[in-house]
Amino acid sequence: MLTTLWNYLFRGWKSTRAPLFEAPLSHVPFLAIDLELTSLDSNNAEITSIGWVAGSHGKIDLNSAFYCVVDTQQPLGQSPVIHGLTPEVLREGCALEDVINHLFDKLSTNVLVFHNASLDLAVLNKVIARLSKPRVEICFVDTLQMAVYQLKKRHSVLPEGSVTLSACRKRLMLPVAPAHNALDDALATLQLWFAQVHELGASRHGCLKKLRHTRATGRSNLG
Amino acid sequence: MAAIAQQVSDFLAASAPFDSLSEAVRARLLKGAELIYLSDDNANAINEGPMALYLIQSGQFSVIDSADAQRHVSEGDYFGYPAILENTVYPVSIHIENPGLIFRFTAEVFSELLTIPQVHRFFQGLRSNALHNQAAKDSHSMWLYKRLEDVVTREPIHVDMATTIQQAALKMSSERVSSLIITEKGKLVGIVTDRDLRTRVVAKGLSYTQAIHSIMTPSPTTVSHQHTVFDALSVMTEKNLHHLPVVDKQGVSPVGMVTATDMVREQRGNVLFIIGELAKAESLYALTRLAWQLPHYFSRHAKRVGDFDIAGKVLSQATDIMTRKLITFYQQAHGKAPMMFAWLVYGSQAREDQTMGSDQDNGLLLASEPNSSQAAYFAAMSEYVCQGLAKCGIRLCDGNIMASNPELRLSIDQAIEQARGWVNAPTKDAIMHFNIFLDVRCAAGDSSLFKRMQKARSPLLAQSLFLAALARHTNDLAIPLSLFQTFTYEKGRELKDTIDLKTRAVALVNNIARIYALAAGVHTPSTLARLASLPANVGLAKEDANNLRDIWLFLNRLRWRHQLLNKVTDNAVSISTLSSIEKHQLKASFKAIDRAKQAMVVKFSGGVG
Repeated sequence: MLTTLWNYLFRGWKSTRAPLFEAPLSHVPFLAIDLELTSLDSNNAEITSIGWVAGSHGKIDLNSAFYCVVDTQQPLGQSPVIHGLTPEVLREGCALEDVINHLFDKLSTNVLVFHNASLDLAVLNKVIARLSKPRVEICFVDTLQMAVYQLKKRHSVLPEGSVTLSACRKRLMLPVAPAHNALDDALATLQLWFAQVHELGASRHGCLKKLRHTRATGRSNLG
Repeated sequence: MAAIAQQVSDFLAASAPFDSLSEAVRARLLKGAELIYLSDDNANAINEGPMALYLIQSGQFSVIDSADAQRHVSEGDYFGYPAILENTVYPVSIHIENPGLIFRFTAEVFSELLTIPQVHRFFQGLRSNALHNQAAKDSHSMWLYKRLEDVVTREPIHVDMATTIQQAALKMSSERVSSLIITEKGKLVGIVTDRDLRTRVVAKGLSYTQAIHSIMTPSPTTVSHQHTVFDALSVMTEKNLHHLPVVDKQGVSPVGMVTATDMVREQRGNVLFIIGELAKAESLYALTRLAWQLPHYFSRHAKRVGDFDIAGKVLSQATDIMTRKLITFYQQAHGKAPMMFAWLVYGSQAREDQTMGSDQDNGLLLASEPNSSQAAYFAAMSEYVCQGLAKCGIRLCDGNIMASNPELRLSIDQAIEQARGWVNAPTKDAIMHFNIFLDVRCAAGDSSLFKRMQKARSPLLAQSLFLAALARHTNDLAIPLSLFQTFTYEKGRELKDTIDLKTRAVALVNNIARIYALAAGVHTPSTLARLASLPANVGLAKEDANNLRDIWLFLNRLRWRHQLLNKVTDNAVSISTLSSIEKHQLKASFKAIDRAKQAMVVKFSGGVG
């Protein structure tokens, strides 16, 4: 009886988040996000540009790639709907609210991929709260933490500069990519994640839940 | 509209054939495209995936995507296109050696882009293993490599030496020619030009009824119809001739005439003019002054690929002329030689593929063994010529392969004996030592002496055991590609991505051409001439010979461009400086060289590598 009640109460929870964490890795949709910020301190940091790209089971859908410069001066809601963005508008920048609206549904339906998740998540959290969006539950993975996990098997103290995005990519034989553009970094991060999953040998039977020991996975509430 | 990451557009912009398209057209590729991190985990994404074009950005894979054998592929390579190209179904199977990133473009957009001719040509070429490279076809200079017998088609206009001056002039008028060959019993004995009629007949008030032989230039300079247009042009430039009779192999019967007007019509570039300038030099000082202009001259005038194609020939001709000049200067000061001799040149100068870095390789062939005073004369002459060449910028040979080395001043009997020694003991070390002497040409002195020596040597050098040893030696030289068809670079260089195109590739083509030429008794040392004159039965198909010719031209263009652009004399070409299509061409060339090498080994050493 108690079990039934328990299941009933938490069905909603399970149907939104548990499948992502318990589904075979090959079925999980990932969305790599990168924010370019005005500061490394999440309290003051504002988003200047944002890029994301989606993929699953090693396959990156290039048509899902999104990039936008965020104009903080832009009055909210004044730029065209995201789908109709023209290059001119993108260059001028679009309003943060429009971008977040466009991103919002994807946050809960994908596992988010970051290189150094804590800063970007803190900023997203602040922004979503400020925009009075509903609270959203997310699952994420952090390629930086995964690199730390792997490196700690060999080093007790991590070598200087060994967990930057480009250093991590180099270790896994990924080609050099231009850095510090939000979309390029998001794409580079997603490639790195897929390479890390392969390195770990986790893809075949594993799910994200089984990677908890790496400290590279997490769940969080935004807003 | 989806955004395009910089790394994606950069990579596509550097991938032939798409690099030649506009950015907007290139972006069409990305419709429905995926970038896949391909590992053992998801290889079935390919094996079970839709028909598509794949382009590898990183990693190493073995694929079967057609009825052909498995291919090893890596960065920059494509697969999956055969099915789309041929509008059929080939299941793709892939084996991952090293995981990496590959692009998947939909069959729809690829088919759409295949309507662009250069894209279609590129993939068609990949499919047929072609070189994407028709070096000979797109050269402005290939006519210079043509043999005179193929070019001179008009029967020579000639009269017997007993003909009167007036009859001869009438013949010239009716045939509309400016020069006339004079024969005696069908053999060439002289030449008369418009100018001779003016200066030797009209100006002197000579009777028109006199026989033509009284005013002809007797025993004119001639050129054999087996030589190339370039050879004819060089002779005419060096000797300042406007009319050059072409004669048959025996050098007696006229078969045609080439004129300066014909040449001017064809030759628009001016890399050749330096030869005329060198020929005018009257002293060692004047000669060296001109010779030092050569590098400057080449970098200023050699701009088009056609110029690169003849640059080696021009440089070799220039070195020949310097040699002849120096011998003349020496003889003017010290008297005529005490016996017949031939000044032989070896290696790149013999093949006429010198580059700026080539050093001198030469020797002397003497009619008989000299006594001590004769020996002293030739020693002093050789020293003068070799030092003179060095002053002209043709480096002394580190390996001491120079006429100034007494071991390289051989009598004809000694030279034949030496060849017998090579044939009897073709060890690896011996081949390294004597390989260079197998490309030889007479640059000055008595060429009949040289021909006698060649004739005696030819059957020795065609012996099958000897050829087998040469073939095995060449087989030991590996092309600079790894198993996965990635370039393997020279170690210990300042730049990390260089390949020495001379030792790694050109030398292989030269070796292959040489071995077939020795087998067939073809005497010419030039690689292109060898490939062009191999008889059909020697075992190299015409198509393969033409392929090797195109490869040879392509490789030489790359190294000349490298030397002239970077003002260097080495052949270490940096691969990152090549365009994407050139990288594909270079890979295809290396693979073709490798196939030609394998075929040669099978032919000459019974497959025993």
